Formats: sequence, C-alpha cells, structure tokens
Amino acid sequence: MRHVKGFDVVRPLSIGMLVFMMLPLVFLPLASIFIFGTRTGLDKFWGALMAPEAIFALKLSMATSFWATVFNVIFGLFAAYVLSRYNFWGRNALIVTISLPTAIPTAVAGFALLLLWGPYGTLGRFMTPNFEIMFTAFAIILANIFVTFPLAFGVIKPVFDTMSRSLEEASATIGATRWQTFWHVTLPSLRGAIVSGALLTFARAVGEFGSTILVSGNLAGRTQTAPLYIFAKFNEGQIEAANAIAIVLALFSFLIFSVLFFARDWLDVD
Amino acid sequence: MKARETLIPKPAETAPALADPPPAAASVIGLSKSFGKTSVLQNISFDVAEGEVLVLLGASGSGKTTILRIIAGLEMPYTGKVILHGKDVTELPARERGVGVIFQSYALFPKMTVEKNIGYGLRIRKRKRKEIRETVEELLKLVQLEEHRKKYPSQLSGGQQQRVAIARTLAYKPEVLLFDEPFGALDTQTRVHLRREIRALLRKVNVPSIFITHDQEEALELGDRVAVLNQGRIEQLGTPYDIYSHPATEYVATFLGAANILEATVKNGALEVGGTHLAAPLDGERFHNGDCVKIVFRPEDVVLSKGDIPRNGASTISAARIEEISFVGAYERVRLRLDRGVDECRTDETPYYLTTDTPESQSTKAIIATRPKPEAAAAKLQIGDRVTVALASFTVLPPSKR
Repeated sequence: MRHVKGFDVVRPLSIGMLVFMMLPLVFLPLASIFIFGTRTGLDKFWGALMAPEAIFALKLSMATSFWATVFNVIFGLFAAYVLSRYNFWGRNALIVTISLPTAIPTAVAGFALLLLWGPYGTLGRFMTPNFEIMFTAFAIILANIFVTFPLAFGVIKPVFDTMSRSLEEASATIGATRWQTFWHVTLPSLRGAIVSGALLTFARAVGEFGSTILVSGNLAGRTQTAPLYIFAKFNEGQIEAANAIAIVLALFSFLIFSVLFFARDWLDVD
Repeated sequence: MKARETLIPKPAETAPALADPPPAAASVIGLSKSFGKTSVLQNISFDVAEGEVLVLLGASGSGKTTILRIIAGLEMPYTGKVILHGKDVTELPARERGVGVIFQSYALFPKMTVEKNIGYGLRIRKRKRKEIRETVEELLKLVQLEEHRKKYPSQLSGGQQQRVAIARTLAYKPEVLLFDEPFGALDTQTRVHLRREIRALLRKVNVPSIFITHDQEEALELGDRVAVLNQGRIEQLGTPYDIYSHPATEYVATFLGAANILEATVKNGALEVGGTHLAAPLDGERFHNGDCVKIVFRPEDVVLSKGDIPRNGASTISAARIEEISFVGAYERVRLRLDRGVDECRTDETPYYLTTDTPESQSTKAIIATRPKPEAAAAKLQIGDRVTVALASFTVLPPSKR
C-alpha cells in the first residue's frame, strides 16, 4: 500500500493508454464520417440526404427492419417461453439452433436464402414467376429475420429462466387463466427485456449488409437499403451521397445505444 | 357494506353445540404420491374445521409441501381426494379451486402496487370497479397497510409483504388458506411478532387455514391442531398440548423439542425402570407382561432432589450423578448420569442388580433436566452431587411391533 494518499501514476497512465488505443480503432473512424460529411457545408449534406433514392433507401431499411423486429420479438418471446418452461428431448439442440445465426457469416446466410428461395432454389423453383420472394423487400425481411434471429430470444430467455415460478402459481391459485397470468404477471416482468431485445434487433437489422446484398439484388429505388446505398454510391465515386447516409446511420446507432444504456434503469424499474 | 359483513363474520352469538362437531371445511382423504420409485406421501387423511388452524409439522422431505401443493391444485395426487366445503375438487385445476396460497417468497406481483396486488383476484373475476375499490380499502385497513397502498412490493419489509399476500388471497374469499412456510425468510424477532399478528388476523377472518412449517415452536403456538409428518406419513395429529405432552411415537417426542427416552419393562400392569416400579395406566390390550417399552419425558418434567426423598406427586426412577450444569437464560440445564441398569429392559435371562453405590464409570445413560431459575437458586446443585431423579409426568410409547 504505497499509494495510500500519494499520487497514483498508474491511474492516469492506464486511462490514457486505453483512450489512445481506442483512438485509431473507434473514435477516429467515427469522427471522420462527420468531419468528411460536413466539410463541404451543411447544404450539400442536406441535398445528398434529400435525394429520392437516398430517402427511399432509408425508408426501406426502416420498414424491413421493423417487420423483422416484430417477427423476431414475438418469435423470441414464444421460443423463450417454450424453452424455459418445458423440458423435452432435443431442447438443447433447439436452443443451439436458434442461437446459430450469430455465428454464421452474413454472406453465407444470404447465399443460403438464395439457394432455398431463388428461381432455381429448393423451394423457389415451385413458385410462379409473378410471385417471387428473392430480389424483393420480402427477401430483405427474410434475410434480416435470419441474421437477427437469436438477439431478442437471447435477451428474453434469461429473464424467463430467473423468473420465479411461484409468481405464475400464485396467479393461478388466485383464479387467473393462463392467458390472464401471461398478460398481467409474466409480460410486465418482461417489459425491459422485450424493449431492449427489440432495439438490439432493429439496430442490427438496419445495418445488415452481407446477406441483404445477395438476396435483394441491390436495385436502386426498389430493393436498395441504406447500407447498400452507401456501398453503391461509394463505388460510383459519389462520396458525399454515401457519407450523408452514413452519418444518419451512425447517429441512429448512437440513439439506440443511448436508449439501451441510459434507459436500462427505467426499463427494469417498477 | 355487504362485502364487509361476509368478509369478517361476527363471532357466533351462541357457542356451537358440543355434541355436533362442525362439518369439515377442508379435508384430504387417503392422499398418496410418489416420484418414480420414491414414495413421497402415504395415505394422508385429515380434516380442517371452519376457522381452524391446522399445522403440518415436519422436517424437510417429510412431504408437507407436497400435501399443500396438492390441496392448492398445483400438483396431482397419485391416489386420494381433496374435498373443499363438501365438494370434491381433486380433478379441478388450481384456478377453479378458490384456495388462497401464501408462498414462502410471498410471490407478490413485482410490477403491481400493493392496491393492485390485493385487487388482482377481483379484477380477473371482472368485478365492478366500485366493489373492487371497497374490498381493497377494507383489506388495507384489516392488514394495516393503508399508507403503503401505492408502494411496490420491493419497497416493503418482509412482514408487510406477507400481509399484502394474505390480503390478496382474502379478497376473493378463499375456501381455505394455505401457508407455505410463511415465516421462513424472516429473522427470529420478526417471525415471532408476525406469527402472533397473523394468528390474531386469522381469528378475525375465520377462514380455515393450513400452515406448513419445520419449526416446532411455531407449530405449537399457531396450531389449533398439529399434524406431525415423517417420511410422508402422519405420525400424530392432535392439539399442541397433546402432541407435546403425550407423543405417540419416538419421532414425535424428539421432533417437538428435547425429550429423554428410557427403556422399561411391563410387569403386572406397571412398569419397571431399573429396579423401581412406576405406576402407569397401561392399556392391557396393547401392553403385555414382559414387553419392552419406552418411556418419554421432557427435561422440565424431571424432578431433582438431594437425598433420598422425592417430592410429592413425582415417581422416583433412579439416583444419578450431576455431570454438567449450564445456565441457558430462562432456566438451568442439568445433565445427569443415571446409575447403571436404568434404561435396560429386564428380562429373566439377564440377572440385574441395582445398588446405589454403583461406580459412575459403569453407568450408561445420561438424561437432561431443566429447572426454572427460582428453583435453581433455592436448591443449588454442583457437578458431582448425587441426586434422586423423579418424574412429574411421562408418556409410555407402545411396544414396537415385531
């Protein structure tokens, strides 16, 4: 205990080193989006953002991510309920399978969807030409569902696992049906988990690139999501256009992350 | 107003006729249950009368929780029936039985206020808002939590949560209240205080109640009757005084507090302990000459006197030497080494001699006696003193069946 009252050199040194290491890895790349994007003035930035294709890409991203989130939260809730309430043969295999998409490269996920639903795919070949799934917004939603599959489930299941069974038993002895118990007792306790699961899923889906580029066809104004727009504009050399959307997506992530981080207390408190 | 009258009935104006036993409010008949090959309950039957408190007392693993869960409808029995107010509910799911369960963890709904918790049973029964408000109000007053109505369970003390849990079940006028080790999570002082409070509350609301506990003191204080459970069987069911003073089995005797046990031989309608005869009312049907039986007596029933003359009304059994004296607050605890030969069944094959000057080293059995403080002060004893041991009261356990 040499530094009981004296100046501890290790403290400022280690904090400084941490910040220094993060600088080129995280801080500077993020900062450069903002520096570069606003360099030519806010008018240019606004103009790039208001381009019809840019607006379409943002809207498409939001819409497809929204439906993927709705599906995955409901599915995650259901899967978490079944897998934490019932013990059956193959239960662990199901848990692993649900969590698997985390570990699968997104390009592989997109490719797999193509092989299934594409024009010559396992199932796709039976579809009529005027009802196709691939290269439409549905394909994007499917890809989003696939890659964000385990996120909501992963947040909700631990809450289910730790929830005391006696709450539901108490509700039953008081006279509630299963549905009433779920609605009045179980669901309120899951509120925090559901909100954070939804935010995580949505944030991840909005940013999805690898699987989307394969299944969407990347058709500007039709199936081009915001990340695909950034990629396309960059390839065309329109750095400002790409940059404007990049700023919006980055700000959006900040927003969601702040809600997750600062609202955690609000989400869990009674 | 109507709700109030039914919720807290006025004490009956005329005492019920003794010849007419009140009908059982709740009964279980021949319950048995096993998990795989292990039998958890064996042929459990008992009744609870209207307004009565029955305590199921047993160690962990004795099956008491399973009985409670079967009555509540949270578990199915293997055989047997559950009858609530004359209706067979064995096949009904928990929510249709109308029982109130107070869980050890209270199981209050964490996202509902005290008011909402109490009103839950009525809300899901789709009662009118006004009725719910009035009932909640009345119950808040009953359990004295009016100022805490807007609080969440996590903001309440253990005792307060307990009271909310009780009020929550009383709201829908349960057929029977089931308490699952309700004081297990509380510190000693609170639990003693709380169980007196709850006892008083239960007398007011007059709902039949079943408590389960492993705490013998709690069982004796709370119960109108107590059932002692051991390995899925009821060993004895009776009033607290009965099971404490006249235990039916060795298990009951030792589970309900300190007990001394000595072997004795039945001889001509009396007992022989060591060389002394003990007068005891023995049922000739169950006790036969030469039977080896056990006598049970509590430490406070042991009467010690210096010299040979026992005190009036107590039956001398032996002389003993004082081995250890400890002061335990309210009383003095004395360990005595009995002279050799006491605690042995005398059969004709093993000749037996009891002499008062048997060396202590050969003695075999130690017993515990307690003396209240005034007595301990009036007649001081010291380690090594020789005393006469007599019993103010004792119970004879039936001979073990072979």
